[in-house]
Amino acid sequence: MAADQVRATVRIDGVVQGVGFRPFVYRTALDAGVSGYVRNAGGTVDAAFESDRSSVESVLETLRAENPPLSRVDRVDVTWTDPVGTDGFEIRDSSTDGTTDSGSGGGAPVPPDTGICDRCLADVRDPDSLYHSYWATSCVDCGPRFSVVRGVPYDRDRTSMDEFPLCEDCRDRYEEPADRRYHAQAVACANCGPTLRYEADPAASVANGSAAIARAASALADGEIVGLKGTGGTHFVCDATDPDVVDRLRERTGRPTKPFAVMAPDVASVNSFALVDGNERELLEDVRRPIVLLEGDDETTWLDEIAPGLHTVGVALPYAGVHHLLFDHVEEPLVMTSANRPGEPMVTSATDLWERLGDVVDGALVHDRTIVNRCDDSVVRTVDGKRRFLRRSRGWTPMALPAVDDADEGPAVLALGPERDVTVAVADGDRVVPSQHVGDVDGPDGLAFLEEAVDRLTALTGIEPDVVACDLHPEFTTTEWARRYAENGDENLLRVQHHHAHAAALCAEHDLERTVAIVADGTGYGPDGTIWGGEVLDVTPADFERVGGLEQFSLPGGRAAIREPARILASLLADEERIDERLLATDVAETPTEAAVVRQEAERGVNTPTTTSAGRYLDAVSALLDVCGRRRYEGEPAMRLEAAAHDGSPRSIDLEFTSRNGQRTLDVRALVTDLAAMTEEYPQADVAATAQEALARGLGRIAVETAHERDLETVGFTGGIAYNDAITAAIRRHVTEAGLSFATPVDAPAGDGGVSYGQAIVARARGGRGRNR
Amino acid sequence: MTDDVDDETITLAHGAGTGRTTELIEETVLPHLASNGQESVGLEALDDGAVHDVGDRAIVTTTDSHVVSPRSFPGGDLGRLAVAGTVNDLAVMGATDPLSLTCSLVVEEGTPLSEVESVLESMAATCEEAECAITTGDTKVMGSGEIDGIVVNTTGVAIIPDGEHVPDAGLSTGDKLILSGPVGDHGIALLAEREGFDLEGDLESDVAPINGLVAAALEAGTVTAMKDPTRGGFATAVNEMVRKADVGATVDETAIPVGDTVASSGELLGIDPLDVANEGKVLLGVDPEDAEAVLEAIRSHPLGEDAAVVGEVTDDHAGRVVLDTGFGRRYLSEPEGVQLPRIC
Ligand SMILES: [Fe+3]
Ligand SMILES: [Mg+2]
Ligand SMILES: [Zn+2]
Ligand SMILES: [Zn+2]
Repeated sequence: MAADQVRATVRIDGVVQGVGFRPFVYRTALDAGVSGYVRNAGGTVDAAFESDRSSVESVLETLRAENPPLSRVDRVDVTWTDPVGTDGFEIRDSSTDGTTDSGSGGGAPVPPDTGICDRCLADVRDPDSLYHSYWATSCVDCGPRFSVVRGVPYDRDRTSMDEFPLCEDCRDRYEEPADRRYHAQAVACANCGPTLRYEADPAASVANGSAAIARAASALADGEIVGLKGTGGTHFVCDATDPDVVDRLRERTGRPTKPFAVMAPDVASVNSFALVDGNERELLEDVRRPIVLLEGDDETTWLDEIAPGLHTVGVALPYAGVHHLLFDHVEEPLVMTSANRPGEPMVTSATDLWERLGDVVDGALVHDRTIVNRCDDSVVRTVDGKRRFLRRSRGWTPMALPAVDDADEGPAVLALGPERDVTVAVADGDRVVPSQHVGDVDGPDGLAFLEEAVDRLTALTGIEPDVVACDLHPEFTTTEWARRYAENGDENLLRVQHHHAHAAALCAEHDLERTVAIVADGTGYGPDGTIWGGEVLDVTPADFERVGGLEQFSLPGGRAAIREPARILASLLADEERIDERLLATDVAETPTEAAVVRQEAERGVNTPTTTSAGRYLDAVSALLDVCGRRRYEGEPAMRLEAAAHDGSPRSIDLEFTSRNGQRTLDVRALVTDLAAMTEEYPQADVAATAQEALARGLGRIAVETAHERDLETVGFTGGIAYNDAITAAIRRHVTEAGLSFATPVDAPAGDGGVSYGQAIVARARGGRGRNR
Repeated sequence: MTDDVDDETITLAHGAGTGRTTELIEETVLPHLASNGQESVGLEALDDGAVHDVGDRAIVTTTDSHVVSPRSFPGGDLGRLAVAGTVNDLAVMGATDPLSLTCSLVVEEGTPLSEVESVLESMAATCEEAECAITTGDTKVMGSGEIDGIVVNTTGVAIIPDGEHVPDAGLSTGDKLILSGPVGDHGIALLAEREGFDLEGDLESDVAPINGLVAAALEAGTVTAMKDPTRGGFATAVNEMVRKADVGATVDETAIPVGDTVASSGELLGIDPLDVANEGKVLLGVDPEDAEAVLEAIRSHPLGEDAAVVGEVTDDHAGRVVLDTGFGRRYLSEPEGVQLPRIC
């Protein structure tokens, strides 16, 4: 043994398990002619390298600089010693030395689903490959993970791939450390793996394998609607450029105006109908393949049917092998939208597709790999230059989000979120693990999915909750569920105010001990029994104080005011003529007498809950400006207002402020009255832009003044309104011009999908102390 | 959290017949007023009345204080409400033949005598319709402003054969849910009258004694549970019934009878007819084998022409009611005191 021989014992922290890290280390060591071993240990990877110092250094350099696509190296700790003498390099099976062979680092010990990688795609294209034309090929860098896993440790035996024993060819690769399919649990080929079929009706499969794909393509070309079972669920698919079939899809699904996501074969195709900047191109090409909201091209008329009244369109690139193979036969972009009834979870099997949605689809391209965990597409958008999650699900679940520092102590938590756009989350130690998108849980199917998500998440993470956190809203199904759950076990129940949860998530993501936060959204139950939604809070992870926000107004007709936002004008305007005109124009009232009844209802305070909701303010403006008088999906009036404002410029407008128990409040009535007056003089686009800018400036000013008074350095902005690009940018300008730092959500959704995360943060920070009832 | 709700005083929500009311009764009333254990249905059951066994027979009692604003409204008045309310509470216990009603009148100083008389006249007429009589009573006068006009308390007593009472907690899996007629009439008509809303059409309260209708239903088949959907409406009544029986139910929204005017007025006001009071309706759980016969019997009664099977008791979703809207399925929630938007 030469004198300059050394041994480096190494521990690597980060997302390093179940992502092909050990084979990567193995290959690196072999290339450098270094001996030693690598193994999984707990949540980290341990390795030892022996050789001359410069070879070992070069291996360490590679580990720090390059790593497999799904991994993330946070830290490499090295201990140098004299060599002990090793022979060759081996991947040690962690199970043989007592540690678990699984993990994704900091989350549940199971990696997320990933779009097919370039090398697997090359195999699919390669006529000489074992995997040629095979739709479900995958390797250690890619393929289904979370969606197929039943339990931990993450092994083929505990996934739905256990129904497909490896053929000899696949097994060779699975067992060869130098192969990228080494210990890739979803490995399969056409001989041994899941199969694909096309069904023209529930009874009969009319084509298999490649023929099934060709058959689906011809159905699509004929203007049919096809159900496509993919990675985490099933989609309705049709030709996006054919307004007739898209319209038929709208009719059959009862979604008159809800935007549909589109899948296009490549970026060049996307460029033909939407604007893609560098940042967005990166988002589109991310291996996890989220749906990316892009600005649609004005000239492309078929987009009017895809996303009526919006200036954006959601686009994804192909991620499953079957998508790529389908696009070998199809040139046009395809509608690719979740297959479900409104308010129900997406279907995950051919049987359910035909049973529940047989009246929607003309055919189905389906496979026999069981989807164990339903996982909807993730949706992102560039807001004020940064990626924002509208939905964090496939590709990210079950990775962890940041916990509050030094919160290692304290109870394990289950957080249930609000009632719509729900995720659940579990937390202990230094991890908070949110579930996939669960969606609306105000019905039995949604609640069943929530229960399934809770069971799976607690099982995968091994977290046994001591505390269950839910919203403060007394009528939410999740509140009731949490009460029952807390009664069944020894768990405590913690009810967390909705906007505190939103803001606490922001604290955790930015490691803020205390901050001023603007939380703007549609609905959150306040401890005073009114509906909050345009709030400025002084907040810590454990507590909050409401310091200001929008002035109170009312919602004449209660829930009806959300469906028909013109009703809100009866509370915001003093101009009877204008109110009646809007009520009649938006079909809320059929006669002037009826319009008068809605006004009287507002005046007399009958069935008119009190609110400070920023979302409702935007909805009301949307109705005032004749942009949208009827909400047919979540957020529609405000989203259409954003679209209407897109080509406008804000006009200068004076804001009036009032006071509510010493809190600063923006006078919404004066503001809407001014906006109504502006409509005589300025185009719709300018008034819409002014309405947004005024909201941003009003809330921004209250927040900045509060921060100055209280000596706080940061102003945060979150809630569903933080998806609005112009409002976010305007608030950011106010905040930074005042010399303060600005914080917005990073990896957590700004909307209600991020509430369970915030609830978990609050529960951890409070150590379970709270409202127990 | 900071700014907590002040739970220390009684609010109007505590009287709305919804979740808050239950909370008030369970947390404040019941700890003080325990039954003596000699009843087969006592206070803890929170049923429409109490049942005391006496030999081979049972005495059913119930009581209700009636206030309404305005005192006279389309379709009825305070007097009719005071008699029908108590007769109906007895009826839904299975006691359709009241032995005695009491009447305690509390009147505010300055109330015109003619108004008191008209209340009494209406009570007499409604008694005749329900084939019962007021056999004892009391009057009190309070100072001006100490109460609002007239309060009428009525107590009802009936005797039935031992074991023949119908609890509100008796639902079991498979039972059909029958509703005796359109919902929402009383609540919407009263609201329109009180607030002076000019709602086109013929809104009228349904207030009526339904003991005759219930008797016909009981005659026709096995009724397992009954409730009159008064305060809090159909939504509250059906939820309470499934919760007490620890069963679930699915309700077909399109099968629930709602009058055209009530439907359109409800839509205009943003008020769900399922959430508001009825004063002449009954919701029955019926053995599936007898459902058709019972439905037929109810429909043959003048107050039950529009009766319908609206749902079925299930063993899944225990404690919850699934509403099939025709577009999807959601849980039917109970209205809180104030309607709270929950949509973001
Ligand atoms: Fe929210
Ligand atoms: Mg009653
Ligand atoms: Zn791959
Ligand atoms: Zn194979």
